[in-house]
Amino acid sequence: MRRVLTMMMLGAAVALSGCASKVDYGDAQARETVNTDFGSTDLQMIASKMVDDMLVFPPIVQLTQNRRPVAFVDSIKNKTTEHIDTESITDTIQSKLLNSGKFRFVDMTKVESVREQLDYQSESGLVDPNTAAQMGRQIGAEFMMYGNFSSIVKRDGSTKDVYYKFTLKLMNIQTGIIEWANEKEIRKTRNKSLFGL
Amino acid sequence: MALLSGCASQSLFVSYPSQAAKWKSELAHTPAQPVLPAADAQTGESSNASPAGLAPANTLAPSPSVSPVISKLEGATAGADGVLYLQELGRVSQLQGRREASRNAFASAVAAYDAEDASARIQASSLAATGTALLTNDNARPYIAPDYERIFTRAYQALNYWAANDATGAAVEFRAAALEQQVAANKREKEIAKAEEEAEENKIDLNQFDGYFDGLNAVAGEVKSSFQNAWTFYLSALFWEAHGEYNDALVDYKKALEIHPDSTMLKEDVQRVSAAMDRKRGDEGGLVAVIYDQDFVQPRAEFSLPIPTVHGFFSVAFPTYSLQDKPRPNSLRVLDTGSQPLGETQVLADVGALAAKDLKERLPGMLVRQTLRATAKYNLQKEANDNYGALGAFATQIYNLVSEQADRRSWLTLPAYAQATRFSLPQGEHTLILSTPQGDATLTVPVVNRGLTVIHAVAVPGRLITRVLPVQEGPL
Repeated sequence: MRRVLTMMMLGAAVALSGCASKVDYGDAQARETVNTDFGSTDLQMIASKMVDDMLVFPPIVQLTQNRRPVAFVDSIKNKTTEHIDTESITDTIQSKLLNSGKFRFVDMTKVESVREQLDYQSESGLVDPNTAAQMGRQIGAEFMMYGNFSSIVKRDGSTKDVYYKFTLKLMNIQTGIIEWANEKEIRKTRNKSLFGL
Repeated sequence: MALLSGCASQSLFVSYPSQAAKWKSELAHTPAQPVLPAADAQTGESSNASPAGLAPANTLAPSPSVSPVISKLEGATAGADGVLYLQELGRVSQLQGRREASRNAFASAVAAYDAEDASARIQASSLAATGTALLTNDNARPYIAPDYERIFTRAYQALNYWAANDATGAAVEFRAAALEQQVAANKREKEIAKAEEEAEENKIDLNQFDGYFDGLNAVAGEVKSSFQNAWTFYLSALFWEAHGEYNDALVDYKKALEIHPDSTMLKEDVQRVSAAMDRKRGDEGGLVAVIYDQDFVQPRAEFSLPIPTVHGFFSVAFPTYSLQDKPRPNSLRVLDTGSQPLGETQVLADVGALAAKDLKERLPGMLVRQTLRATAKYNLQKEANDNYGALGAFATQIYNLVSEQADRRSWLTLPAYAQATRFSLPQGEHTLILSTPQGDATLTVPVVNRGLTVIHAVAVPGRLITRVLPVQEGPL
């Protein structure tokens, strides 16, 4: 009788632990293949491909040999069928480029906050004029970074195929010449399994 | 029985249309909250001159807590038919002006579609549900949203983003809607090919569109009209045009024209965008479009047939659409303050027809299951008669008759007819009068040169809900 009871308790314990959900830390760089939607691995692949390619492109190498040109990031047009935060992709690219020590950036999304701060420093009378940042001393960007993110999705009863194309361009604002451009293609396919729960 | 209905689908013993009637009447009779402008919608006032006894207008009031009907609806979204209730919740919330709730509900519905697309072809859980369905009725099977409902979800979600002035988000949803329409067409490739073949045999000219309308196919259009949604094409075409994406706009106008080859309005639209592509964009002024959702789509009716046998009565129940219940289309007329007509909406999507087509496609499967079920219930009755005495036999008889219910589930807060019209006005503020059999409304709308102002009007029984969406202009 006791043995039966023990077995039952064991069984119950197994069943109960099976139900409890588990939280764990994972590798942020690990391949993520939960579904065909745009995911972290895609973001990382795009960013590293863009940055690696740009930094070894001969004219860019030459350009950044003795100075660190200033650029700004325009938005990436989302032309896919998913709600993707393209700013997050450009943020990663921007950080990587900054960390390479080859480029510097001005942030166009923060212009209003900067203006407010400058107004406060110069007009509120609370800030020591000797330490106040001067108006009109910001450095103009030389390059603009912009691009497109598009996708082609095909779906039928059992297969879904997603093709992403991320295009990034670097334009010299003064001359209008595109100094560098590259694209990253990603293809993901999902096949339905035959059996499942 | 109570147990069964508790764990399985809610519609097992309570017909779905009677459940839906609750939130439909809530929309019709309690102007819970103004649908109109949060701070972001440009300008716009709305008044509601509807039949006696109703609250006069959509006056701005602090948001009341959700009603019991809505919270019950929210609760139902967790069940086996979750996707159906999510769709209803999204639509109801949208019409009550709870945009965030609506967006979340539609987003969850889309997640459910994705899960459905990714699920294994043979699923243990759905086999179990089919097993239950064998002893009860088809309502035990989890609800799978048909293509036309998916398309509407995407379009209404686009309107949510549009109302929040998020053009990128709206663009994404319109692209997703186009993808759903394409998938719907691909599924029925054979059907289209067959229609074209027949047309060829009967010497019908497939290219009866001249000049501007290259690439359109009347026969394919006729087939496509039964599952594609010209209203969604039209709405996205307007959106693309306002943002200068003439290529996308032209494609969508043409797809709408393919479905309604006789529409003068659509022909003019195609010509206008073609001209714009050649940089021959003419006069200044902005476009005002009225999208009009008329009434609610009719629910499925039940066709029930008792069959006498030596072992007792059996009932066979099928869903069907009866023509008498179908609302008749009526148009919304737009007048200026001098009572001069500006435009009149035309039907672009007959949702009842889309639903009927879907039911027709589902019928073969229903027939097979009905036959299997009749056999199972017959055997059950036979066994009860032989083994369980008079009372058992009687109870089984009652169960067999009561449990046989047709599958009457479908998205019921969709409009019966989705309509639209458009006209140009010079830049500035304009006061427009919308006139429908459900009531009139006077709105003041902003018009911007080369911009697009969309008025969304929804006529539910006894009430006309209106809202003005933020003006769309400039590149995306």
